[in-house]
Amino acid sequence: MADWETKQAEFTKIILAGDEEAAVSLARTALDEGATPVEFFENCISPSLQDIGKRFETLDIFLPEMVTAADTVEKVNSEVINPAVAEAKDGKSMSLGKVLLATVQGDLHDIGKNMVGLMLKVNGFELIDLGTNVPPADIVARAEQENVDIIGMSALLTTCLPYMKDVCDFLEGKGLREKYPVIIGGAATHPEIAEEMGANAQGGSAAEGVEKCKMLLGKL
Amino acid sequence: MSKPTDYQILLGSLDKAEHGPIVEERDWDNKFISQTIRELVRKYDISWNADDPLVPWDNDFADRVFAAGMEMAVKTGVYCLDTKRQMLWSQDELEQILSRTPKQVTVGEGVDAVTVYTRRPDDDKRVAVWGGPWGVPVTEELYTPFIESYAREPVFDLVENATLLSTHGRPIRAGSPWEAVAVWQEAQMALEAIRKAGRSGIALGCVEIATTEIGELAGTTYGAYRLTDIHHAAFISEQKTAYHQLTKAVHFAHTGSFSETYFNPMYGGYAGGGPGVAIAIVSGMLLVKACLGGTFCNTGPTHVHLNCSTHPDLVISTSLAFQGLARNTNLLITPFIRPTTGPGTREIFYESAALTIATVVSGATMIDCVQSATGNHTLYASPLEARFCGEFAHAVEGMTRKDADPIVRKFVEKYKNIQDEHLIGRPFTEVYDLDTLQPTPEWFSMYEAVCDEVEKDYGIVLNN
Repeated sequence: MADWETKQAEFTKIILAGDEEAAVSLARTALDEGATPVEFFENCISPSLQDIGKRFETLDIFLPEMVTAADTVEKVNSEVINPAVAEAKDGKSMSLGKVLLATVQGDLHDIGKNMVGLMLKVNGFELIDLGTNVPPADIVARAEQENVDIIGMSALLTTCLPYMKDVCDFLEGKGLREKYPVIIGGAATHPEIAEEMGANAQGGSAAEGVEKCKMLLGKL
Repeated sequence: MSKPTDYQILLGSLDKAEHGPIVEERDWDNKFISQTIRELVRKYDISWNADDPLVPWDNDFADRVFAAGMEMAVKTGVYCLDTKRQMLWSQDELEQILSRTPKQVTVGEGVDAVTVYTRRPDDDKRVAVWGGPWGVPVTEELYTPFIESYAREPVFDLVENATLLSTHGRPIRAGSPWEAVAVWQEAQMALEAIRKAGRSGIALGCVEIATTEIGELAGTTYGAYRLTDIHHAAFISEQKTAYHQLTKAVHFAHTGSFSETYFNPMYGGYAGGGPGVAIAIVSGMLLVKACLGGTFCNTGPTHVHLNCSTHPDLVISTSLAFQGLARNTNLLITPFIRPTTGPGTREIFYESAALTIATVVSGATMIDCVQSATGNHTLYASPLEARFCGEFAHAVEGMTRKDADPIVRKFVEKYKNIQDEHLIGRPFTEVYDLDTLQPTPEWFSMYEAVCDEVEKDYGIVLNN
């Protein structure tokens, strides 16, 4: 596949416009022409999404455009890439890891968490989003059910920080603390708070959150 | 048919949360908010370029922003997170609610009482100044002196509280009994602070630590906050509410408390860029009034990455939205001054004053100042930057938008390229003398130097 650069530019344009049909068609054509699903992911989907993530960091595009692009890529993955990977059985994973995200108990703010979720997705992570106002026990239980690689928590309000510590305490109590790296973010947090809460890392922005997740999984 | 009472309007608002159309939250963000705003930006031709005025003075432009915001409010309404329902108001209902807005309100008591007036763009009427750390986190031992240092500033007509980091040495958990414990401690310390400052009657902004309705119910009671203080309830971005906020509104109505309701649309979020945020501010201010009541309606739109309300695009958005609201309603509207920079930096004066000037000449009735360094850093706030805002607010009463624009532009030029550096400066304990509760000589001389610069460049004399 010699023209990845052209294809990727076209793909970026299509997913930003939210044209699911064109995106699926472009992916199918690439695979029909001999690309493997992993090659398509690495040369087209991943760089396009990273490009979109960078554009959001500089606000050349806004959150709704990033949502549209991420949704369109999900359609391509579910209709073309995932079935092709299953068929090929080449065993190569395209995910950097599975991250559970939740806004902790007492807090209903979700835009910050949603931005981090989208940035994680566009950078190749799988996402389990539990929403807002999630009790500590539920976070731990879902992490176990979903077998996630990282637990991510968000809080805008200082009075919700104790619930982050509860999650770390629950993990400790269940003998699971070493299994799950924990990252926190949101306006109420900073690196010292992460230490106080017993978390492994803190993200000061959506982009930094992604970098820290990569770091926690040794993918940097 | 007779006009509904305020209480009937409140009950009607609660009804809407129970009986409105059911909507998925994801659709709310992506379709109801985002798509509607994009359509209205086009329909009403709301746009500007980098070299257009930061404080526009075109009344037709301001009225178009208002019309777009009103249409947005009617089309979308508010989303109730607990019931997953869309709360809708007709334009007639909104106009009826607006028609009941008083043109002036007196808060505080005795010699410390202050009257806040509706203002129009280019108005020479007095603007009120609400100084305080606005929720900046603070330790228990420093709470009282911190608030006292603000209450000592004569330029402040009202004082807003800080956020307690702990209560009796314990963590404060939202929605738990500790929230009730903390608000009682907060009220006692805040009342002690204003008493020590000799301003016992000044209105306090409260209940700061009331994350949920528990804090509000525990804090507005005999022996704690008074009926002359001002309480808060808010929307969650974008245009969402929840039972705990509605419960606060009910409590304000039952107790007869003053309140400031607020909404902070996100720049770069579902509202889009500057033009979308201008529409969202108008829509949100109309709807917080309708949904949560509110003696005052406040906004501090938030940059999604910088967390500030002072980004150059937001100065234009807020100015335009305020002009639209001030020309078409009597709402008592207030801006939230939230710079990226903190105390001990020269830039905080420019950043805070730019939005202050832009909104005072656009019809703001009161200035909520200053949530320094975006409000996230423990003790990173001081009264001096808020004093500067207050003095500047009075200095530009009666100034036209056209005359204010070059001043605002010059200030914006001084900070726009450093906002992403997050110069949080130094904490209160390093820029104030804790014995005298006065600024350190170094911090005060920085303030004086900026005052001198303002006098030299613009002939504006601040009261230092």
